[in-house]
Amino acid sequence: MSKPLLSMEGVSKAYSADAQILRDVTFQQGTNEFLAIVGPSGCGKTTMLRCISALMRPDSGVVFHEGQTFDDPPPWLSIVFQDYNRSLFPWLSVRRNVEQGLRDVAKSERDDRVSEALAAVKLDHAADLYPWQLSGGMQQRCALARSIVSAPRLLLLDEPFASVDAQTRIDLQDLVMDICERMSLSALLVTHDIDEAVFMADKVVVLSTRPATVVEEIPIDLPRPRDQLTTKETPEFLHLRHKVYTLVRQQAQ
Amino acid sequence: MPRDIRLRALFWQTGTVLLLLALWQWAAVAHPAPYLPSLKPVALAYLSLLKPGNFMDTVFPSLSRLAVGFGVAVALGTVVGIALGYLRWLDPWIRPVLEYLRFVPTVAILPAALLLFGATDTMRIFVIAFGSVFPVLLAAIDGARRGNTLLLDVARVLKFSLAEKLFRVVLPGALPSIFAGVRIALSIGLVMMVISELIAANDGLGFYILRNQRLFQTANVYAGVLMLGTIGLILTLGLLSIEKRVLAWHRGWRGLSDARS
Repeated sequence: MSKPLLSMEGVSKAYSADAQILRDVTFQQGTNEFLAIVGPSGCGKTTMLRCISALMRPDSGVVFHEGQTFDDPPPWLSIVFQDYNRSLFPWLSVRRNVEQGLRDVAKSERDDRVSEALAAVKLDHAADLYPWQLSGGMQQRCALARSIVSAPRLLLLDEPFASVDAQTRIDLQDLVMDICERMSLSALLVTHDIDEAVFMADKVVVLSTRPATVVEEIPIDLPRPRDQLTTKETPEFLHLRHKVYTLVRQQAQ
Repeated sequence: MPRDIRLRALFWQTGTVLLLLALWQWAAVAHPAPYLPSLKPVALAYLSLLKPGNFMDTVFPSLSRLAVGFGVAVALGTVVGIALGYLRWLDPWIRPVLEYLRFVPTVAILPAALLLFGATDTMRIFVIAFGSVFPVLLAAIDGARRGNTLLLDVARVLKFSLAEKLFRVVLPGALPSIFAGVRIALSIGLVMMVISELIAANDGLGFYILRNQRLFQTANVYAGVLMLGTIGLILTLGLLSIEKRVLAWHRGWRGLSDARS
């Protein structure tokens, strides 16, 4: 009886007759699954994410969330956007930004949950600062806190680590995996970074160039918890990385 | 700003004012004429305007009309502008009318307003509001339209209602633009206030200046004009200090100032 958490069925989207972005995209994501979508750059990953989140309506095909369709983002879904610079409310403090993620929750409970979320992303010391007083990595952690404060079931990550430096990216990857593990969150990561996809996900969906369609779904059965050093040195990781890399490169040619 | 530069600036600013006053005084003494009184009677007339009785008859009526008219203009311009800027599909319908009305010299509305409302306070408030609403309205539309669309996606995901989107996402984002419009509106509002009091009035600064001109009380005329300048200055400074407080995030965000100031 249990319906998949997310199911894309034959989704297509075009902005005009000669600019088709998505063609017949079909895949499923199970509950508690960490899914990564990779593809050549500019292949329509962001458009796909907008269709998944119901921010955009596909031209044809259906997006099911637990068997239901939605005209607006489902309440249990939250998104972390790539552009942390523009996705935070610059006129609100870190604490108030995170508070926006909680609707219809009593004030007393709200304060506790915001503090919890801030502690989870290690930003409790910066609660009263404003976004412009934070580094890029801290801003993205603030956006992450806002996304998890409502305890969503599905966390969409739109290239969330693309605009930060290498060290920060590694820290954020570990942080996101840790949070998903602890809160038993399902996550869907859209990225162009193959290492990142293989390292973080339970399943990697490889897309073709535009118009994007699913080329292959590759299960990643690396044991958890995963470690930036030891996991990435295992033959299994290198093998999977090689496989995904080859597929993506074939698409780009 | 370093202290010595600030001191030097203060020195030149005071110096310029004193120089102009000295020039005035010299001209009044060297070439006595009825239309150019010396500083002393003007200063006395200026101070007498601040006496409670005169203040309530002259300055206060003007200020209260300005407050109501300007307040209505800011509130109306902001709310309507935000809505129009956000509801983009309304734009083709509304824009031609707005673009037309903004070019109507606002002073020309005076005779029509006089016909509509008679020589009443309502007429004067209307004229002030009419004159100052357009800069606010256009700035609000512009600010709302150029707003951050990603934040609206965020608001949709966070389940903001329409009112919350308008007043907690679009409005704060448009505030920097709106404040620029409000500053222009204030100067227009002052002009409209004086003009509206030049016609069929029996109190207010405009009336005071006009009556004293007719009575050849030139010192009073200049005192009234200086009082208008003072009001404009004080209101502008007040506005700037509100702006500084409300838009602190914006200056920081733009990197125009550091975190401490």
